[in-house]
Amino acid sequence: MDRIPFRKEELEIVGQTVNLGRGSFPLLNTPITPRENFLMFLRGEEPLWMPQQRDVLSVTPAVVKDNIARGFVHDATGFDPNKDGGGPDMFGIEWEWVPQVNGSMVRPGNPKVPDITEWENYIEFPDPDSWDWAGSAEKNKVLIEQKDLLFGATILNGLFERLISFCEMDEALVAMIDEDEQEAVHRLFDKLADFYPKIIRKYKEYYNIDILTFHDDWGSQRAPFFSLDTVEEMLVPYLKRIVDATHELGIIFELHSCGKNEMLVPAMIEAGVDMWNGQPMNDKRMLVEKYGDKMIFGAYPTTLTNDSTVEEVREACKEFVDFFNPYRIYGGYGSAMFAPGVRESLYEFSRIAKCGSAE
Amino acid sequence: MSKLEEIASAVERGKAKLVPGLVQEALDEGIDPVEILNKGMIDAMSVVGEKFKNNEIFVPEMLVAARAMKKGVEVLKPALGSENNVSIGKAVIGTVQGDLHDIGKNLVCLMIESAGFEVQDLGVDVPAEKFVEAAADPAVKIVGVSALLTTTMPAMKATVEALNAAPERANYKVMVGGAPITQEFADEIGADAYTADAATAASVAKAFVVG
Repeated sequence: MDRIPFRKEELEIVGQTVNLGRGSFPLLNTPITPRENFLMFLRGEEPLWMPQQRDVLSVTPAVVKDNIARGFVHDATGFDPNKDGGGPDMFGIEWEWVPQVNGSMVRPGNPKVPDITEWENYIEFPDPDSWDWAGSAEKNKVLIEQKDLLFGATILNGLFERLISFCEMDEALVAMIDEDEQEAVHRLFDKLADFYPKIIRKYKEYYNIDILTFHDDWGSQRAPFFSLDTVEEMLVPYLKRIVDATHELGIIFELHSCGKNEMLVPAMIEAGVDMWNGQPMNDKRMLVEKYGDKMIFGAYPTTLTNDSTVEEVREACKEFVDFFNPYRIYGGYGSAMFAPGVRESLYEFSRIAKCGSAE
Repeated sequence: MSKLEEIASAVERGKAKLVPGLVQEALDEGIDPVEILNKGMIDAMSVVGEKFKNNEIFVPEMLVAARAMKKGVEVLKPALGSENNVSIGKAVIGTVQGDLHDIGKNLVCLMIESAGFEVQDLGVDVPAEKFVEAAADPAVKIVGVSALLTTTMPAMKATVEALNAAPERANYKVMVGGAPITQEFADEIGADAYTADAATAASVAKAFVVG
């Protein structure tokens, strides 16, 4: 690929991305599509600019009941979470849509699995073969056929989140380290490690996704929920099987894991995770320097807010690109991506850093 | 290792199966039950809290330690007797109206209980009037108010205002916490304390009551 130098005309808006219910974003006059650029980056080649989260179109279609239960259907069907969000997920766990949070949660106090050591007595695994994937794909044809953006799907409720949904947070946390309960957790995660790839294979067959985002929050604002040892023992073996199954399909595996989880990065690497965005409380500069050759990190200028001025945005983006350009990093998701002009500034500065300017 | 040290070690390591037996052995040896509680268990939980603050241990380890202590207290209770009430006061704790999050609140309950308080857990989605009603009990020394969401911070403000207007207000301290809460916000709404984590909440609550 020629290292086409940046020209100002590239900042012209030439179209809009598909609307997934969260609004659409302008498409710039880029020399190659954001998808082509992202794929170069994922192949380990030097892209023409630093890819950004907005270059990814990630669906959570209604065919997966979790997405309805969580009020998180993002597909072409025009889902309204205030009307249709909540209800049973694919394991029959009841979720409650909470408008103030713009999300769903299981009301505490009445777990479906009162004793995790006996989860088999309460939980029946769903059969993704029985879901209407073809119908879902037909409804979302416009998304599947678009070629501008990297195309992906998100699985909500990863291994630990699934455990929480079955038995509530306190019990799930204790079960991760309690000798009397760990065996049952191993049995559950073992079965889930067989189960999730069934869904991923459906996404490949019917949606032909480039990237899978696997949602499993492992931490709070101040620290991980559990130690690295616990993650390595309880989660890594099963996460690795899911990652391997994803890779066998030629799909990139992105872990979405909220919390200050930087000390768990070695476990992510061990499991074979390709990308982790991570919230801004994680020290991305330390992470790229320490682990940047082993995993891709998402980051963005953390000083920015929606109230930042255009000048502040440009200054922060310039500094951000100056530091991060040598690393395999993408402009991750976060509140700063909605600051005025942040996308364009990151595009422009990273284009120039990677290919020079024709101006 | 003395029996009290054995108990403390088992509590710190969250050995819920060992602690009751060790407590019983300590009682059989004639060790003062109040000393077993204070030196064997409450002090051990302070160590756990410190380790948690320093990221040497994490939430599960803190939870199992608190549960182990609870098991020990069950054995100890008859020996402590009603005339020998060692509770340092009552704490009522809940998550504000409109907010269903309970993890932080549950941790605070456990740690405050482990610091020697009797705890009344009001649950989640608690209206201000329920906080006020519970706080009217003269035994209440601490009212803990939790909110995880920026959208429920106004409910926290309303709750603290209602508590501040209650006639029993001089009897208790109001403590607030939760992800979006800051010291500035706590000051602004008239709370007595803000703490960032459950272990600190327990030590601040204890300091309010026993100095």
